[in-house]
Amino acid sequence: MAAFIAPALILFLLFVIVPVLFAAYTSFFDWNGLGGIPTDFVGLENFQALIADEVFLGDLWRIGLITMLSVAVQLPMAFGLAMLLHQRFPGRTAFRLLFFVPYILTEAVTAVLFGLIFSPRRGFADAVLAGLGFDGRVGWLSDRGLVLFVIFGILTWKFFGFHMILYLAGRQNIPEELYEAARVDGATSKQLFRHITLPLMGPTIRITVFLSVIGTVQLFDLVYVLTKGGPYHASETLAITMYDQGFVRNQIGYASALSIAMFLISLLFALIYQRYVLSRDLQGSLTSTDGGRS
Amino acid sequence: MRNPLQRPRALLAAGAAAALALTAAACGDSGESDADVTFWHIQNEDPMKSTWAAMADEWSEEAGLTVETSAIAVEDFKTRLSTQTQAGDLPDLYNTWGGGVLAEQVEAGLVRDISGLECLDKVNPITLEAYTIDGKVYAIPFDQGVVGFWYNKDLFAEAGITAPPTTWSEFTAAVQQLKDAGVTPIALGAADKWPVHYYWTYLSMRLVGLEGLQAAGEAGEFSDPGFTEAGRLMAELAAMEPFQEGFESATYGDVDGQAATMGEGIAAMELMGQWAPQVQRDASGTEGPGDALGFFPFPAVEGGPGVTTEFLGGGGGFAAGAGAPDEIEDFMCYLLEEENQARAVQDGNFSTVAANPEEVLPEPTPEQQMVVEAMATATGTQLYLDQAYPPAIGSTINEASEGLVLGEITPEEFVTMVNEAWADEQ
Repeated sequence: MAAFIAPALILFLLFVIVPVLFAAYTSFFDWNGLGGIPTDFVGLENFQALIADEVFLGDLWRIGLITMLSVAVQLPMAFGLAMLLHQRFPGRTAFRLLFFVPYILTEAVTAVLFGLIFSPRRGFADAVLAGLGFDGRVGWLSDRGLVLFVIFGILTWKFFGFHMILYLAGRQNIPEELYEAARVDGATSKQLFRHITLPLMGPTIRITVFLSVIGTVQLFDLVYVLTKGGPYHASETLAITMYDQGFVRNQIGYASALSIAMFLISLLFALIYQRYVLSRDLQGSLTSTDGGRS
Repeated sequence: MRNPLQRPRALLAAGAAAALALTAAACGDSGESDADVTFWHIQNEDPMKSTWAAMADEWSEEAGLTVETSAIAVEDFKTRLSTQTQAGDLPDLYNTWGGGVLAEQVEAGLVRDISGLECLDKVNPITLEAYTIDGKVYAIPFDQGVVGFWYNKDLFAEAGITAPPTTWSEFTAAVQQLKDAGVTPIALGAADKWPVHYYWTYLSMRLVGLEGLQAAGEAGEFSDPGFTEAGRLMAELAAMEPFQEGFESATYGDVDGQAATMGEGIAAMELMGQWAPQVQRDASGTEGPGDALGFFPFPAVEGGPGVTTEFLGGGGGFAAGAGAPDEIEDFMCYLLEEENQARAVQDGNFSTVAANPEEVLPEPTPEQQMVVEAMATATGTQLYLDQAYPPAIGSTINEASEGLVLGEITPEEFVTMVNEAWADEQ
């Protein structure tokens, strides 16, 4: 049995565990990453600097905000659309496809596209507003109070289709008989939704929340190509700060400390979420080495 | 009967071999390219893009080696090059601005020492300074010039400004006049950050003096009160709102960026290097301001020791990665042949670095003439700070410059940020 997982295990060790351990090691050094191995041991200095770093604290706040918005706005919207698209009506397949299309674009292409739409002088968005009779420009990406919400809008446009497809699949797995039986008992459509649809889609909802949060913590490509995290850190994410410190400023030690912080945030969230939220869904679905005899 | 243990062992071995192969591939030279010579430059617009390609092809045929040329937009170039630097594998020939960034690459042993290159006598020795580290030369220069205000004479006339300002108070008065006339005084691409750092550097050069700035750079501390004063003047300028709408998210070279805003004749001036007129045309897709384009040095600041003949400047050169084949020196010399320098000057609108300029640049364009004249008057030059200093310091100066014009940090915080970065570096 062990031999069958060996190849995967070796790859996992080499490309996941070893780099993580190496990053943990370098996070205790002041190291520019160039040539040789780190030698200037500084203990926890990088981590001390990190928790005093306004950019890092700002990143946490921004990531938190986008996560909350995603869970409160993006996922319910995807859920609602999935319910609508579950109904029978002409053109249903076309709509499903249409809503899913943005997800197929790579993040970089999406960023370039929206960079043109929200371009400061001749952007398409401003032109549309002007055509509707609104005066003046909106500083879509230049207004430091607005830029993060614009990015959230783009993220929603790009990812709601993905969540919608998951919800749609979850909804289709609910046997129609349950609804028929409930209707015979005189249940209203509100009751059907509250007592059948919602509880039976619980596993799907919980997993989309999980994917959404982890995706947000790692947010990089789209924002980097669109704004590089600017103006002045207003749209910066953890991954952008890490990249900037490591690859632009050659502060690999500090960037490693940041990456370890990111790793711990993701890990802690994943563990807590699995333990307390996903535990019911995972029960019985995990295979054990004794073939499930115990 | 077969030994049941045999198969798992074989699988294990196969897995280990596959893993090793993957690691080996990941550590391989430059990864993507099979060519003998990889050549990275930043002229991603024609005509110069084709000219570099043509020169590479010609040499490739002559030398019997294959050359893979990559034209990469400057911001992407910096990103990719810093990643390559971290990977410890630079292209065989790549664009550099010299200074502290190149020094860090040299220190890591990633750059080829070309001090012995015979054809170096084809260039003006002054232009080698930015690429000389501890007495050794690491790049061939290709372009040399200064940063100053490129201005639109028609728009200045419209606002009733008769002569370019020579002092800071004349300059701010001109900005006000332009605003009153309904003209955007200054084009700025703040999202790229580096165009903003020219303002702070120049104000520091004027208030602390070139020698003072150089001494501070060597000491690794900006302690002179002039540095704070420079930030204060910059913040005052920003408070006049002289920049085009949306400058906070504008880049230097994109369609709605700083250069395009100048090229379309929307803004009256920009603080930029010798390449500005070419990029104005390329980015806007227009002919640019044409004859209306003028150049004036950064004004003197009342009470400061700096004079207008001290310039911030620099240029582009090419360095060779340590892993390059020996023939790379031959390629560098081919590029430096007078005839090829002339092609670059003509197609790329470069300012010549030739030891004998008249052989390369018999009839400079008016724009090239303006840069040549400014350089002829120069009593001192300072390389762009974001290239002159190590990347951690340069990036902090760029970041703080952006923060200052956006009103996010104070002039005092600016100096503190940079000094902390210096302290970390030592």
